[in-house]
Amino acid sequence: MTHWTIILLATKAVEETAEGGLFDINATLPLMAIQFLILVALLNVVFYKPLTKAIDERSEYVRSQISQGRERKEKSENLAIQYEQEIREVRKKSQAIIAAAQTEAQKTIAAESQAAQQEALAERQKAAQEIEAQKAEAFGVLEAQVDELSKQILTKLLGPELV
Amino acid sequence: MEIVDGLNLLNSFPLASLEVGKHFYWEIGNLKLHGQVFLTSWFVIAILLIASLTATRNIQRIPRGMQNLMEYVLEFIRSLAKDQIGEKEYRPWVPFVGTLFLFIFVSNWSGALVPWKILEIPDSELAAPTNDINTTIALALLTSLAYFYAGISKKGLGYFAGYLEPTPILAPFKVLEDFTKPLSLSFRLFGNILADELVVAVLVLLVPLFIPLPLMVLGLFLSAIQALIFATLAASYIGEALEEHGKEHE
Repeated sequence: MTHWTIILLATKAVEETAEGGLFDINATLPLMAIQFLILVALLNVVFYKPLTKAIDERSEYVRSQISQGRERKEKSENLAIQYEQEIREVRKKSQAIIAAAQTEAQKTIAAESQAAQQEALAERQKAAQEIEAQKAEAFGVLEAQVDELSKQILTKLLGPELV
Repeated sequence: MEIVDGLNLLNSFPLASLEVGKHFYWEIGNLKLHGQVFLTSWFVIAILLIASLTATRNIQRIPRGMQNLMEYVLEFIRSLAKDQIGEKEYRPWVPFVGTLFLFIFVSNWSGALVPWKILEIPDSELAAPTNDINTTIALALLTSLAYFYAGISKKGLGYFAGYLEPTPILAPFKVLEDFTKPLSLSFRLFGNILADELVVAVLVLLVPLFIPLPLMVLGLFLSAIQALIFATLAASYIGEALEEHGKEHE
């Protein structure tokens, strides 16, 4: 019996001190709501807006970098194709120039060798003519000497009176 | 007398005690406030603000440290809101849904991780702010207001015409739903967090070492899940309110 009264007294005391218990709804509720809305506003300024902006800017940056890279790649590929064509053309031109130079060189070689041959021929002829002329002169001198000698021989043999 | 002695023994046990439904009252005018809830909620708000400020103090293109973590959090919140509200409309609701998630999550974990009992306050003990029915009802009512605001700001009073679709017979149930939504939201969160803290407290009371550890870990998991559930449901209610009813409005 004493137990029960003590417990009853205890519960009564608890009821007196604890005003609401588990489901004690009071001004905490609206103040908490207002506090929460303030928190939303604060976080919106210091967290959501700046970081959303940062994330969006970054994705924009990445996107623009990718498209720029793609453009550059296309441009460089076009340039490579263009250069290859130019190289091909230049090679063709150079071959043509080499061929032309070769034919020209061969022409000059042929012409010059012909000219040299003709010159040599002419000089040989000239030399032959000179030899002929000297030969004739030498024969003339020889004949005159032969006449002189034959006269002297005659005078020696027949005496000067007879001659 | 033995029973009473036993009770006294339990109460004088130094490691843990149970205090349910006792509040540290502040009085402003003739309004009564639960001081312990405000103290811990300010702690939670301070954590959130400090984390945000350190993350956004020096924003880099290549994120590192705190900025990286908070960007991960923001991406998570954005994908949550996007999934529930839809690609077109989710952006203005990210702060509300995200703050719901962050506030509840940090509150729950602070209740599980911070040894509040070291700090003594008169008549009560510090615990997670979500441990108090006022907080959860406040959040749930704000969610209700948010989805009413979303629906009415988009469709005007035509929002209430949506109650008659697909058939007017269901209209009473839809009205009923507007009352059950905040009720279930608030009581789910309140009940889970309170039950978790009570279970841990009772186990600590019975076996002070090691045995309550798995339950504490489970409590952490449960706290995170509750935050996610609250935010997801809030976002899905908002998404539902923004949803077009039928194709003829397009």
